[in-house]
Amino acid sequence: MNVSNRKIIRRLSIASFKAAKIRNIITVAAIALTTILFTVIFTVGMSMKYGFEQSNFRQVGGCAHGGFKYLTKEQFEELKGDPLIKEYGKRIFCGMPEREPFHKSHVEVSYCDENTAKWMFLEPIEGRLPKEGTNEAATDLRVLSLLGVEPVIGNEFTMTFMVDGKETTETFTLCGYWDYDEITVANHVLIPESRTQEIFEKLGTQGKDGMTSFITMDVMFKNASNIEENINTILERHGYQSEGLDQGDNYIRTGVNWGYMSAQFEDSLDITTVLALIAVMLLIIFTGYLIIYNIFQISVSNDVRFYGLLKTIGTTGRQIKRIISMQAFLLSALGIPIGLVFGYGVGVVMTGIVVSKLDGIALTYSVSPIIFLGAAAFSLVTVWLSCRKPRRMAAKISPVEAVRYTESSGAKRKSRKGQKGASIFRMAMANLGRNKSKTVITVISMSFAVVILNITFILANGFDMDKYLNRVVADFIIAEAPYFQASAWDKTGILPEEVVSQIEALDGVKGGRTYQKTFEAQEFVSEEWIRKVNGKYGSPEQLDRYVEMLEKVGDLRADRVQLYGMEDFVLDKLPVIEGDLGKLKEGGNYVAAVYGDDDYGNLYEDSHWAKLGDKITIRYVKEYEYFNPETGEIYGEDEDLSESNKPYWTRAKVYEDKVYEVAALVTVPGKISYRYYGADEFVMGADTFIRDSGTSDILYYAFDCEDDKVEQVEQWMQDFAGGDDSMYDYESRKKEEEDFYGFRNMFVMVGSGAALIVGMVGILNFLNAILTGIMARKREFAVLQSVGMTGRQLNRMLITEGMVFAGSSVVITLILTIVMGPLASSVLEGMFWFFSYHFTVTPILLVAPVFLLIGAVIPLCSYHYVAKRSVVERLREAE
Amino acid sequence: MTILSTKDLKKVYGSGENEVHALDGVNFEVEKGEFVAVVGTSGSGKSTLLHMLGGLDRPTSGGVTVDGKEIFTLKDEELTIFRRRKIGFVFQNYNLVPVLNVYENILLPVQLDGGSPDQNYLKEIIDTLGLSSKLSNLPNNLSGGQQQRVAIARALASKPAIILADEPTGNLDSKTSQDVLSLLKVTGQKFSQTIVMITHNEAIAQMADRVIRIEDGKIA
Repeated sequence: MNVSNRKIIRRLSIASFKAAKIRNIITVAAIALTTILFTVIFTVGMSMKYGFEQSNFRQVGGCAHGGFKYLTKEQFEELKGDPLIKEYGKRIFCGMPEREPFHKSHVEVSYCDENTAKWMFLEPIEGRLPKEGTNEAATDLRVLSLLGVEPVIGNEFTMTFMVDGKETTETFTLCGYWDYDEITVANHVLIPESRTQEIFEKLGTQGKDGMTSFITMDVMFKNASNIEENINTILERHGYQSEGLDQGDNYIRTGVNWGYMSAQFEDSLDITTVLALIAVMLLIIFTGYLIIYNIFQISVSNDVRFYGLLKTIGTTGRQIKRIISMQAFLLSALGIPIGLVFGYGVGVVMTGIVVSKLDGIALTYSVSPIIFLGAAAFSLVTVWLSCRKPRRMAAKISPVEAVRYTESSGAKRKSRKGQKGASIFRMAMANLGRNKSKTVITVISMSFAVVILNITFILANGFDMDKYLNRVVADFIIAEAPYFQASAWDKTGILPEEVVSQIEALDGVKGGRTYQKTFEAQEFVSEEWIRKVNGKYGSPEQLDRYVEMLEKVGDLRADRVQLYGMEDFVLDKLPVIEGDLGKLKEGGNYVAAVYGDDDYGNLYEDSHWAKLGDKITIRYVKEYEYFNPETGEIYGEDEDLSESNKPYWTRAKVYEDKVYEVAALVTVPGKISYRYYGADEFVMGADTFIRDSGTSDILYYAFDCEDDKVEQVEQWMQDFAGGDDSMYDYESRKKEEEDFYGFRNMFVMVGSGAALIVGMVGILNFLNAILTGIMARKREFAVLQSVGMTGRQLNRMLITEGMVFAGSSVVITLILTIVMGPLASSVLEGMFWFFSYHFTVTPILLVAPVFLLIGAVIPLCSYHYVAKRSVVERLREAE
Repeated sequence: MTILSTKDLKKVYGSGENEVHALDGVNFEVEKGEFVAVVGTSGSGKSTLLHMLGGLDRPTSGGVTVDGKEIFTLKDEELTIFRRRKIGFVFQNYNLVPVLNVYENILLPVQLDGGSPDQNYLKEIIDTLGLSSKLSNLPNNLSGGQQQRVAIARALASKPAIILADEPTGNLDSKTSQDVLSLLKVTGQKFSQTIVMITHNEAIAQMADRVIRIEDGKIA
């Protein structure tokens, strides 16, 4: 085809584009709204993914893909040039302070080059990294505050720290500082490489600990896949190995950043999330399709004569398609950027709302171009899909038919039965039937928003606070902060007795302690049970190895056991399945076996092996010994087994066995449990626990409070344990309520946001359908009026049409809600354990009058506009 | 030289009881440079005939040859292209593109074909039809007679083999009708165009070189 006719096609597109102002405004708005929806999804999704990775990296302490540790200068020079490595960073560990004020902190003094510093998030908010050949140093605000030094560039500070076993005291000039990040464990003091060498020379450091004075090289590869493989490839190429020292002198220690691994793991594994995301995307495409398709379809119907005329003159179908495509593109070019801007704003707000309700994700806002490219691409696809059919329709228009064309469904209806004569209502209904697809799509599009609104309402309404608070067993629980953090499973902390006595001294408070196991203890269980419990964590071979490692006592094996020592107050909170806790309170050798249940309170029948009345033995282990399972050789206490590759098993060496009777079977509600899954659990009375274990380390103190004192106590607890700087933390009924409302509000915000945007799309669609319907029938109305229809009658007809639109949407939504209710209830109750389904149509009833009002007002206004010109004028107007 | 001929042209609408023979075996020929008027009463099939001649609609049977080409052997897309190169239309209701100005309307068929206009020729047409001062007007700012003159200019612009005019004066008063018709005839002669005009008005038909009468789908 000739190329030079593109110009006139463009001219035609632009000219007819300009002529359709109202359509353009509505379409641009529709495209913008669709883009907003996509951009929000992309922004929230990308921000959360990014935030998730970032919080992983911060826990790991860096975002480098991996690293080679403790290299000599020669090794470093050799490896850094490897073509697989895209970027590398250099770090030399120097020392760590151990004395006050750093006895409780982990602080590392080292040299880091720019890359490493950046990857470890050590970026000064003020000042810069230290310069070579100076006595400068950069560190974080926490180190400065521990030292008691004002964060002012140029201040001097002195630190005493251990370098490979030797102590040194050094003075530095502050050249930069950054914020301390709670999630990162370590604090850093960065000094120039030259200074590290000075220190090493002064102390005669040889790196006996295998770390100090050696170089750690962090690396970035081209991308985050196959990090481990890449590292091993590099080692192999240069003749090194990372298996172990006993495999040869060419051993180099390596590390892979698990932040990337787990991020990928999450991505690839969570099929539900992926499916949900696809569903949401399809929903948005569908919403956009409904309106954009409708607009183009209507626009083509109205312009049929125009396209017919173009065809008569000799415009080919392909050229007409191009005219429409070009218009769609122009509209997208206007609508998409608007949508991107607003969508990003809304997305940022939404990210804040959603992330604040989720644990373990840092609040970050992604500015990845993927957000904008992705959202724009999806919008374009939606527009393209939407105008495919109208385009084909316009291209197929027969020039002869076009001239005679008036809006119709295209059905070959030749006559219409009816002897009753025309009534306003029947005329309105017949008008709606002219373009059935337009009517249907408009109605669906409007219903859609109401359905979303109703689902949101059902969801928010169904979150059952009573159910939610059911699991809160005491008014308050206080413990060391880590107890409440999901990630801190190996360091719950010990609540000091002084704290408990302070609280007990408060007015109107009654509570109890739970003591935790801070010693070694074992139970004796069958191999079969061990295999059953651990079955899901490993392969049969791994299980074999695990079972073999456990000491055999008779037919049974000694395995770890978890123990609680509970005071009466806490014991009273335990749901008893069978038996009686009274015996535990009296002291004596009684325990309760702890069974598990799910969020809905359904008991896992076989979650413990002990039955009521069983005699069980607990072995309190004072000392273990390590031995070689092959030779039977017992290792000395000083031998560092973790560094060598020698096989070792353990067994109790010094211990005491105690026999107890199982007096009850109980469950321990999550809020007063250890909050992590460890081993089989038993509960003892506090006295028995202290007597037999000889320890009294408090896990938490739980207490109730008289109703009229709650406010006061809440305030006291907030002051005492609520601050960020407190070692303690607490949970209370009130905080749980706030959590509940926060969680519910998140759904309300997200749901009503979606309903609002989709609702705007629906109303736009309706506006467009009505407006174009009236514009296209301008002449027809004049004809009707010329044969005697009054303006009032005409208005009534138009209002009836609008009301039928609005009314049908309401009815359809009602039907959908009633039909889908039972399905939704089972899905939602399966998803949220604190959800109770209540059928409701309140939102529909609330929205119905609004819809009906819009249904009446829009036709009225549009007709008013048309009626400004006289009947004769309109009659004579040639299309 | 025969520029247009039809061979046993038939068009049937509907079927069974409702069958209507709009054209029932029409045969005629038009020589190059002729001005032919087709007359007939309402419903005689004259509009259907024009649609067939212009390739706007396909016949039930029979064929039309324009400038030596059997047009209904062409596919839709090819037929459209053939039409814009070989046939110029003048309609009763002008059918100007409302969003394009007069000049752009005149140029449209040429540009759709990807060609560049012959400026001298174009200027001559525009001058002959007295449109020089109206070139940047939009069609709805013109009187009926002016609009029809634009339509004639548009039909001439691509130097077609024939011009088909469908009641070109149907919407015009008698004085304007005379003017437009004279212009049509004059330009036809000046640019040696073949014109086939459909009308129900005997007086207007008399201005043509030859009159073909059509009745019940047949040439009378």
